Amino acid sequence: QVSVLYFARSAELAGLRCETLSVPREITSLQLWEEIVKVHPRLAVIRDQVIFAVRQEYVHLGDQLLVLQPGDEVAIIPPISGG
Amino acid sequence: MEESEDVPKDFVKLKCEKLSVDEVSELVVSPCCGAVSLFIGTTRNNFEGKKVIHLEYEAYTSMAETEIKKICRNVRQKWPSVKHIAVHHRLGVVPITEASVIIAVSSPHRTESLEAVMYCINTLKASVPIWKKEIYEDEYSWKENKECFWANSEN
Repeated sequence: QVSVLYFARSAELAGLRCETLSVPREITSLQLWEEIVKVHPRLAVIRDQVIFAVRQEYVHLGDQLLVLQPGDEVAIIPPISGG
Repeated sequence: MEESEDVPKDFVKLKCEKLSVDEVSELVVSPCCGAVSLFIGTTRNNFEGKKVIHLEYEAYTSMAETEIKKICRNVRQKWPSVKHIAVHHRLGVVPITEASVIIAVSSPHRTESLEAVMYCINTLKASVPIWKKEIYEDEYSWKENKECFWANSEN
C-alpha cells in the first residue's frame, strides 16, 4: 500500500489530493500509472505531461522497475511553474 | 565574533506570508563578502491580453525544500567562494506586483553571486515541484515553465 499524492491539475482531475492505493511491490512506472488511471480515468488526458516522484525522486513514466515499500509516497507531478 | 559562527548557510523557506527583500538579503550578508546579489520574481498583471487578477501557488512542500537544497549544494560545487544562499518562495495567493520568490547569494566578489543567483532561479524553474495558477476574470490557467525538464512543449 502506497500513499499517492496529487497536485495542481492532477488533483483537479482526480478530485482529491491524497489517497492510499494497493499496488504490487514490484511494478514498472508505466504500470503504476495505469493502475492509478483505472481509479481516476480523467487523469489519462495528462499522461504525456506528468512525471512521478517516488520517495521524492523523479521517475519518468516508462519501463523503470520500482520496488515499493508499504507507506512509500508516490506523487503525480504535472509540469511545474515555480519561480 | 568567532570565525566558526560565519559558516556557509542555506536558508530555504516556503511560506504563505508576504516576502521581505530586507529579510532575505540580511540573511546572507557576511563580513567576508563584498557582494550580495538578489533576484525577485514578481507577478505580472497580464498574460496574452488577459487581465491577471492574482496568482495562486501550491507546492509538494517537503520535496520542494529538498530540491532547493540540492540546488544550493550544486551552487557551492560550481562557485566554491559563495558564502550564504537564501531562497524564499511564497505559497497561496500572491497579489499582482508582490514577490513570489526572492533569491539572495553572498560572495566575496560579485561575479560568483551574480552567476549563482541566475543558476538558482533557472534551475528552480526546471526542477522544483511548485505550481502556479493564474486567475483571470473569467477563468484560470495552470502555468507550465518552458524550463520544466520533462514536459515537451508542443507549440
